[in-house]
Formats: sequence, structure tokens, C-alpha cells
Amino acid sequence: MKKVAFKTLGCRLNQYETDALASQFQDKGYELVQFDESADVYVINSCTVTHQSDHKSRNFINQANRRNKNSVLVVTGCMANNAKEELESREEINYVVENDQKTSVFSLVEAHFDGEIIHPSKLNADLFSYGATDKGFHTRSMIKIQDGCDNFCTFCIIPSVRGRAASRPIQDILTNIREVISHGAKEIVITGVNIGRYEFEGYQFDDVVEQILNLEGDFRLRISSIEPDGFGEKFLGLLNHPKMTPHLHLCLQSGSEPVLLQMRRMYTAKRFKEIVQTVRAKNPDFNITTDIIIGFPNEGEEDFSATCDAIKELNFGHVHTFKYSIRKGTRAERMLNQVDERIKTERSEILRNLSDEIKVNYRKSFIGKTQSVLVEKIEGNIANGYGEHYIPVQFTGENIEKNQFYKVKITSIEDGSDPVLKGEII
Amino acid sequence: MRSHKVIEIRNLTSSTYIIRMEKNDFTFKTGQYITLGFSGSIDRREYSIYSSENDNFLEVLIKEVENGLVSKKLKRCKTGDYLDVDGPFGHFSLEESEIGRKKFLFIATGTGISPIHSFVETHPEMDYRVLHGVRIEEEAYEKDSYPNGKYILCTSREKSGDYHGRVTDYLLKNPIPSDTVCYLCGNCHMIYEAYDILEKQGISLGPIHTEVYF
Repeated sequence: MKKVAFKTLGCRLNQYETDALASQFQDKGYELVQFDESADVYVINSCTVTHQSDHKSRNFINQANRRNKNSVLVVTGCMANNAKEELESREEINYVVENDQKTSVFSLVEAHFDGEIIHPSKLNADLFSYGATDKGFHTRSMIKIQDGCDNFCTFCIIPSVRGRAASRPIQDILTNIREVISHGAKEIVITGVNIGRYEFEGYQFDDVVEQILNLEGDFRLRISSIEPDGFGEKFLGLLNHPKMTPHLHLCLQSGSEPVLLQMRRMYTAKRFKEIVQTVRAKNPDFNITTDIIIGFPNEGEEDFSATCDAIKELNFGHVHTFKYSIRKGTRAERMLNQVDERIKTERSEILRNLSDEIKVNYRKSFIGKTQSVLVEKIEGNIANGYGEHYIPVQFTGENIEKNQFYKVKITSIEDGSDPVLKGEII
Repeated sequence: MRSHKVIEIRNLTSSTYIIRMEKNDFTFKTGQYITLGFSGSIDRREYSIYSSENDNFLEVLIKEVENGLVSKKLKRCKTGDYLDVDGPFGHFSLEESEIGRKKFLFIATGTGISPIHSFVETHPEMDYRVLHGVRIEEEAYEKDSYPNGKYILCTSREKSGDYHGRVTDYLLKNPIPSDTVCYLCGNCHMIYEAYDILEKQGISLGPIHTEVYF
């Protein structure tokens, strides 16, 4: 039996696409092994959103090649689009597959083992024809509803590597979800590059969410990363639906109005705060997590302070911080007043400490409350999973099953900067 | 990416010009922008579309940037040259449902007038005013194309405009009715300041739309 190993970098969409590819390989008789094991096929689903992502992607390419020089090494994902020529010139990489052709990675590898060498550009291009994800790396079932982005934020390379916004037909989405629910999925996570810009034959993002929530079955719905301008009142009205999880990853990027304008974001910091207040008015412990870019060109001390103030004020459950790095071809590449790397590092440190403190406080507020935990990992009688607020929870019990919900009363919290909540089954 | 033949170049000032291209089958929503560069060149820049949705040509308004890579090259292009057009991009668009019902104020600085020009050429029936901030009157690009009383020129470095000062000074002295839908296009500082002023004048967040020019 041939062995296949995957490494995924970056966003949830990449994770979904890897899950689908991993399932397809296993359905066709491959054994899935860890990336640090020897395999016949390595697939690296890369990311290029920052310099660091490029660096990591290159590192994993080197690792795969070291493990088995005779393996078939496929590099796909956003770096495959952005640095195609560089990657194609590396002899150890057999195939560089752009995002459009990612769905056909399996047929490419199969053809390779049959002695046929297909250039990836000849492969079928389809953004949405991924199969099931049931043998993937996640208990949660990710469903792709959209791809690409037309926003062209000045810092962002993604429109160049994921292409223009495209939405999956709503009926395909609903059919896909019914199918995964019938196979036992308990948590559906909708993914895409900019899901709030979903638009298909008059259906907007809010309509998709409403229709998913109206499906029958014992499941809950999680929205992954979304832009603050990507939804309307109808969506906000659905947040208290019993199947909706109280968690949104709402990308702020900066708390400074001038910086947001220069990033060409589609909202103001003030509007962002209003959204958070609206959401928390419906559900005070609603978990809002976010992304922050540190050291965007022209970010002065006052701008950085505004970001820190926003983080303190908005009580985020988690803040994912990125140091701004120039992406070739973006508008921000040509901006003057790039921030010194040392200043970015100092600000990152400040922001990370602040975020950790806020995260711990937020999590502590769950002590004494109940979470419905979807179990993802079991070791002996210790179960780990995520509650509906997307906070990690650990509890003990006999005969616990993976991919099942358990009502857990939170009794304590671990130490550290990313503490797991501990609890007891009710 | 599509290749479009240049059919006219109009020099408005020594540094600002309009390139008119064949439209071919290109469609866009007024307010959107394209990226433009010489055919085959990797150097491209974003420009808002200046012409109307209904014109049978495509126009962009370009200001030559000192040490600019693309704007200087584009200024040298000639009738018959081909330019690569990608797009349209952007969400700086009018709400169809508001066009016949609402009062609009379009605030622009410099070449930020480009999408505004496209708005009013596409929908001349709109109830609107344009507030254009420039340094000197020469930069009031094709101001005669706006009907009488619709275009207010603010000149900051000479007294030749309808108002001497910045658009933000004009807004402070001439409060805007709170039911006005405002579109702001231009440099970041103007947008930031004007936004603040408009909000204080009671214009809520929803009716303010912005597009930053760099």
C-alpha cells in the first residue's frame, strides 16, 4: 500500500482542501502517514500570506525531500501560484499545482505512478469539485462555500493567488452538508477566502447561513473567518439560533482609522466596535477572535496605541498577530514609511502579551459555566475538544467517544498563555 | 486580462491626462477600478474608471507621479498602442435602490474625481453635488462637464475656486443635511477628516462610502 503525507499551512480553506485530498487518497487505497514519516507521496499545501509562511513552506519542502528522495513531491496552495517559477525550477519538486487545479492532485499522482507525466496546467480546473472530507485531519467538517477575493486590501496578496471571488452554488453547499451530516458530522464549519462576499443567483451570505441552520440533524454551525462588512442584519439575527455557535473570527487588522483606510479595508474601527457591541448585546460571552497586522506602513505610535486600546476594549477571545511583511505586487509594497523591523518586533511583543492576558481573562469567565464539547481527541480517559465558544476543553470520563457532544461543567483553567479549560461531565 | 487599443489621449494639465481606449466587451459598475499596464509588461497600476457605464469607450484619468514607473510610461503611449486591462475591481459603487430617491454628496480630492465623474455621467438624473478639492484651478479636471450648480471647486492654494480652502473647511462651514448619502474619494487624510466632520454633522455610518487614493 502506498503512503501519502500532507502538510498544510495557512487558512481554514487550505485545511479543508487538504482534508478533501487526504480523504480521496485514502478512499483510493493509500495509507495516510504523518508528515515526519517516510512516504511515497508528499503533498504540501502552502501559504504565502507573509514572509514567514513562505519560509515555512520552503522548510517543509526541504524536509519532505530529505525524508524520501524518491517520493513524489507535490507543492500546491498559494505559494505555488505566487512563486511558481521558483518552485518549478527546483528539481526535488515533481509537481507545482496552482490553486485552480488543486482538486486534481490525486489524478496527477496516479498518472505519475502509471508512468504518465501530466503538466499540472493541463489538469481540470474547478474550485469546488472536492469530494468528502470524512478521512481528513479534522473532526469538524469544513465546507467550502466560496473562493477568491475582490477586495484588494493594499497589504494582501490573496486576490493574486486565489483569484477573483467565486461562489459555490447554494444547492451544492446544502447537498454537501446534508451528506456530511448523514455520515455523522456534528460540527459544520463554512470556509472560503471571503465568505461574506458570497453571491450566487441572488443568494447572499446571510441566506446561505439561514438555509444551513434550517437543515435537519444533530449538528452545530461554525462560521470561520469573516470580514466585518460581510454580513447584514439578517445574519446578526441568526446568531442566537440554537445550531449557531457563539464564535466569530472577525478580522480587525488595526484599531487605527487612518491605518484601516490605507489598508483599504471596507469598515472603520468604529463600525467594528458597533458590530461587537451588537453581537455581545445578544450574547454577552460571545467569543470574538481577530487578526491584527502589526507595523503596516505609516503605523505610528498613536495608531499602535489605538490598536492596543481596541483589543482591551473589545475583550477578544484570541488575537492572531502578524508582523506586516511586504508582498510583491500589492499596493502597500510601494508605500513609503515602511516600519522598521525592530519596531514591529517590539510592538508584536507588547500586543502578544496584551492578547494573552485578555484571552486568559476571557477563558476564566467560563469557570462555573457549561460547555457543549465536541470531542476530538481521547487519550485513556482524558478527552479533549472544543466547546461551542471555540475554547479548548479537557475532561475525563469512561467510554467517551470521538465526534460526540458532551455537556461539561467548567471547573478550572490551566496555567499558561493558551490555557485549556477543565471540567466535569454533567 | 484583456488588451485594449488606445484611441485618444487628452492632456488636461502638464502632468494629468486621460487615456481613452476601445471598450470591446468590457463591462463594469460605475465607481470600479481597473489595473492598467502596457501589453506584456508586469508593471501595472490601479486606476478608477473615469467614463460612464454607458459610453462605448473606456477612460481613465491619470496623474503622472514623480519617479512613478507606470504613470510616466503611460503618458508616452500613443493612439494605436495596446494596453492590458484587468478588472473591474472594487466595491465603491452606488446603491441602485438609492439612485432615484436620495440626495448625494460626492467629495473628492485631485484625481479622486475619476469615479465621481463616472457616477454622474452614468446617472445624470441623480440629485447630487460634487465637492472637489484641488490646489489650483487648473486641476479642476473637465469641470465644464458637470451641470451648472452641481460642481463646487475648493482651491487650497489660490482663490480661483468657488471656495478658497480645503474640502474639509468647506464642510465645516457648510453643514450637510443628515439624510445625504456621501461618497468620499481621495487621499487618506481628507477622507479621515471629512468622515469625522460628516459624522459629527449627523450623517450616520451607513451612507458614507470611501475609496482611498494614494
